[in-house]
Amino acid sequence: MIEKISTPVSVSLNFDHKKRRVYPKFLIWEGKIYSVEKIGLHHTYRVGRTLFHVFSVASKSLFFRLVLNTETLHWRLEEISDGLPE
Amino acid sequence: MVYPSDIKFNPNPSTIMHIDLNSCFATIEQQANPHLRGKPVAVAAYSTPSGCIIAPSIEAKKYGIKVGMRVKEGKLLCPSLLILSPDPWKYRNVHLSLRKMLSDYTDKVTPKSIDEFVLVLENYPASRKGMFEVGREIKQRIKKEIGEWIRVSIGIAPNRFLAKTASSLHKPDGLDEINENNFLEIYRGLSLVDLCGIKLRNAARLNNLGIFNVLDFYNAPFWKLKAAFKSVLGYYWYLRLRGLEIDDVELGRHSYGNSFTLPKPLTRIEELSPILVKLVSKMSARLRRAGYKARGIHLAVWFYDWSFWHKGVAFQRELFDPREIYKEAFNILSRCPYRKPVRQLAVSAFRLLKKTNSQLELFERTEEKERLVDSIDEINERWGDFVIAPAR
Repeated sequence: MIEKISTPVSVSLNFDHKKRRVYPKFLIWEGKIYSVEKIGLHHTYRVGRTLFHVFSVASKSLFFRLVLNTETLHWRLEEISDGLPE
Repeated sequence: MVYPSDIKFNPNPSTIMHIDLNSCFATIEQQANPHLRGKPVAVAAYSTPSGCIIAPSIEAKKYGIKVGMRVKEGKLLCPSLLILSPDPWKYRNVHLSLRKMLSDYTDKVTPKSIDEFVLVLENYPASRKGMFEVGREIKQRIKKEIGEWIRVSIGIAPNRFLAKTASSLHKPDGLDEINENNFLEIYRGLSLVDLCGIKLRNAARLNNLGIFNVLDFYNAPFWKLKAAFKSVLGYYWYLRLRGLEIDDVELGRHSYGNSFTLPKPLTRIEELSPILVKLVSKMSARLRRAGYKARGIHLAVWFYDWSFWHKGVAFQRELFDPREIYKEAFNILSRCPYRKPVRQLAVSAFRLLKKTNSQLELFERTEEKERLVDSIDEINERWGDFVIAPAR
């Protein structure tokens, strides 16, 4: 099931200067820690002049769409899914 | 004009590559969400039962789900089908990454749509590796640099048309060539409607002259094709099937348009006008950003009973202000003789002219109006679309 939400979320973002890679390592949502097992896709979009980075990531059992507002540097969780039909 | 009619298949090496991203939107969604991989999913304009499926995944296609089907039809064929909403930014980002990667091989990269590219590799160092090697390398790089779930079908041929045909021979993940040595064998396995540009009506035209398959089509004398198409198209087909290039034309921009499929049927003009305002704002912003004005507005309406109405109006004066364009588009909509539930609305500007110094109007202050519209555009670019939109 896919659920569209829009809620603030805590995200730990890593930067590996040797591999020049940036990736979310874990997130805390509703008091639970989810470690990021896989990054599906990273893309960007703009609303006006504000740039947003979208990380589509997966933990062992759930998918998360994490959005970073580069103006406020705040994260929001916009979508979760377990990949199962409704 | 006398057309040569005894042309053999082009003996030149294949230097054109056509790249087709398989089940583009659905595959990108599966790339983004690893939990969807290997499952039947479809991207639909709306997730409601009457929403239109715009991209089924490769797994969904195996159940018979096709582009254009309704969500409810798709779910009948596959009850576990997962419906996703479109995310244009995601697809655009993948398209741009792919385009950047492909430009490492040649500067002659032409995007044909969001999921198709044509590469001309003639005389480029990359082609020395061999076209198949380049194709394999591109596939590997896509998996490594863009996403391991993204698959492309690649076609190689001496011309664009046959490269596209080759790219659809084995889907997904194909890599095929059509050349002087194998074209007859490949033509033998294709039906007329497998060719891009030949659908039922063109096939019927050809059938009338005794052409029933692609081999017949290739072997048909030029006069027969001319009789079938009753235009220069017959000659173009004669050349295409012989691997000669006829499609390397860059068509200039003739119009700017935006369309919107309504989530629920609306009939009254007061209900449709807010949608028209948004369409006009988007379309006219793109028009101005590209440095154009227009002297024509076209409106198209698709109804729920599958009927269609459209009208275009040409003007003497130059249009660029969204308020004026909206006024004209609204006038056209008011002239629609049908009051039926609307499925889709589209507006476009045509008769484009490059924005230069404006013609002075006797009763209007065009320069002031231009400055105002520029300021509104700047505000919308800074704060986001529709922050300021014309009042109706």
